[in-house]
Amino acid sequence: MENKELVLENTLVQALQEGFTRLEATVKRKARVEAKIDKDILPSLLLFAKEKLGYNHLSHIGCVDWIEDGLFEIVYILWHPTEKINLLIKASTERENAIMPNIDYIWRQANTYEREMREMFGIEFPGLVGRKDFILEDWQDIPPMRRDFDTEKYVNEHFFNRPGREDAKDVREQVAKRSGEDIPEFAKKYSRK
Amino acid sequence: MINDKNSQGIVDIIAEYARKQSLFIMAYGTGCGAIEIPPTLTSRYDAERLGIRGAATPRQADVLLITGYLATKSLKRVIRVYEQMQAPKYVIGFGSCTINGGMYWDSYNTINLLDKYIPVDVYINGCMPRPEAVIAGFEKLKELIQSGNALGWKKYEDNLEEYRENQKKVIVNWQMPDYNW
Repeated sequence: MENKELVLENTLVQALQEGFTRLEATVKRKARVEAKIDKDILPSLLLFAKEKLGYNHLSHIGCVDWIEDGLFEIVYILWHPTEKINLLIKASTERENAIMPNIDYIWRQANTYEREMREMFGIEFPGLVGRKDFILEDWQDIPPMRRDFDTEKYVNEHFFNRPGREDAKDVREQVAKRSGEDIPEFAKKYSRK
Repeated sequence: MINDKNSQGIVDIIAEYARKQSLFIMAYGTGCGAIEIPPTLTSRYDAERLGIRGAATPRQADVLLITGYLATKSLKRVIRVYEQMQAPKYVIGFGSCTINGGMYWDSYNTINLLDKYIPVDVYINGCMPRPEAVIAGFEKLKELIQSGNALGWKKYEDNLEEYRENQKKVIVNWQMPDYNW
């Protein structure tokens, strides 16, 4: 019964797997299909999805910092205007000297996302237009959206603090203290000492 | 001109009285607090009946409102605007972000203490302060002006080196004219 409802999604998965051998495609739920692929063949998959399958709208490009695995995962969200399906295409790159293929010749609006990712995560896109400062001005530290960027340390070094707020530095601990609950094990390593 | 509050002559008292009756706000909204300014100035709270209204350019303005958080990028513009304003000029820090950073205290791109970078005459606390609070803040500023205590601009001239040092700590690539006082 469930399969009947997901006819369009299953057809899409089949079409993707026929076109590309090194690709994992799964149906996540209704109107959402996810595909994982190598970053080298990512532009051809995006072109294939745009020209052949009709996913001609790029909704969003996101970046996830998997610091434990040493990876940046870039998620391209495509939208089919008539079939009403979101296609999530995921590709990973190493955190050190991260390089991703530039796709702003496929969708021009990708340029904005790529400039932002270059500045906030330090991912290089060869051939990117507009490599000057985008959002940050005069930034000299490591890119601020990386998870190894210590915001509090940066703030203490660069800005002033008004005395009298030493009690409320760690929000997680304060909330736990007030509600009388323990901090979960997985969250403890992110607590500020 | 007035050099300190004890040397207010009769001319100064009259000048200050006239000055406090018409405060022109520089229309430069830096943070989310700018949304409280339209209701303050328009028919609901009608701040114009108290002599408070907007000005288009820094050179025509008396009051600079820093409405909420101040990003390091807009700090550059704020300093530029402040230095262009004509001499009896006042700064109102608006919302808790200007006082101690507010909810953005640990953000990498917003400053925490406004009075380290430009002198502040009146702080209005709250997140966000309602138009009543804004008007109360202006009334306080008027009191300070009348008593000759709103001398932030004087403080800025006297301690320019110190302010510059703090400003240049945030604005690394300083590409602004160094004004001659």
